[in-house]
Amino acid sequence: MTVKRIAFVQELLKFMGLEGRLHLEWISSAEAQKYVDVVTKFTEKIRNMGPNPLRAINEMKKAG
Amino acid sequence: MDMVKAAKELLLQDKVDIFLGYRKLDGHQIPHGFTKAHVDDLDQLEISLNRYPLEKIACDLTRKDPTLKIGILARDCSQRALNLLYTWDQLNPENIETLTVNCCPSSLSTHGDCSYLKPKITGAYKKAHGIDYNDSPKNFMAEHDSQDRLSRWMYEFQKCIKCYGCRNVCPVCFCKECSLEHPNLVEPGVLPAEVPIFHLIRATHMAGRCIDCGLCEDACPAHIPLRMLYREVNDAVSDIFGYVPGDHIEKSPFSIIGKTVELTPAPMDV
Repeated sequence: MTVKRIAFVQELLKFMGLEGRLHLEWISSAEAQKYVDVVTKFTEKIRNMGPNPLRAINEMKKAG
Repeated sequence: MDMVKAAKELLLQDKVDIFLGYRKLDGHQIPHGFTKAHVDDLDQLEISLNRYPLEKIACDLTRKDPTLKIGILARDCSQRALNLLYTWDQLNPENIETLTVNCCPSSLSTHGDCSYLKPKITGAYKKAHGIDYNDSPKNFMAEHDSQDRLSRWMYEFQKCIKCYGCRNVCPVCFCKECSLEHPNLVEPGVLPAEVPIFHLIRATHMAGRCIDCGLCEDACPAHIPLRMLYREVNDAVSDIFGYVPGDHIEKSPFSIIGKTVELTPAPMDV
């Protein structure tokens, strides 16, 4: 079920121009190193992409 | 008029208890339930471009009395909506009779009875900053890069006045509890709606459900190209799962636990 939903939401975000900010990975509790690798890689990726553009839009709106 | 005769027959032969169609009231065409007791009212049955979600009225009636037999004036989109409502057990196919009206133009009939067949006009400003009504999702993806796509959708969504018209008119929105009214997701009383979460919640719920009738777009006072958005949503569903809502009576992949197709999580591209 999760993989179905994530595959769909990834498509939707791509259409909205927000691709790359959602990732799914199966990691067992015995795979500590894999967990570290995936999280590090994803954090790095998001940092390079910069802050969420939606935050700026919603804050601008609040400020009027 | 044949349709009037057919509808009268349905009522007089007790095939249906109520027939849902349209009649004119004070110059407006509005949905009306015709009954056997007032069968002559059917002479005022109106068939025109105007449409309302009659299937939604049928759902409300069925909720009050599940045994009620209902006749419906139906177009192609109504047939799809009915299939979907049968799938989700909102209506019982045994209790529904349809009379089909001419919908899209064909070689047999040159005119169609649907408000959606009137070509939509997109203004120059909307074309430059927002989204053309008549654009296709594939074309939109090809022509605009991701930043452009985001700013165009934000332009459209920010116009939302949170009237809930898209949900209220939708023939396949039948949930008792709506996520759009959940205070943790959509803050009540706050205008404008938080973008894009409000619209993306609805878009997500339309996945595997939207039957592409276009009533939401007709109803939207802010001219948000909702039909295009839900079309893309369901293009994704049909691309990934091979499922087309309303085509026939079949559950959506999101409501079946387990695999309908083999999927693996997409790799992270850095």
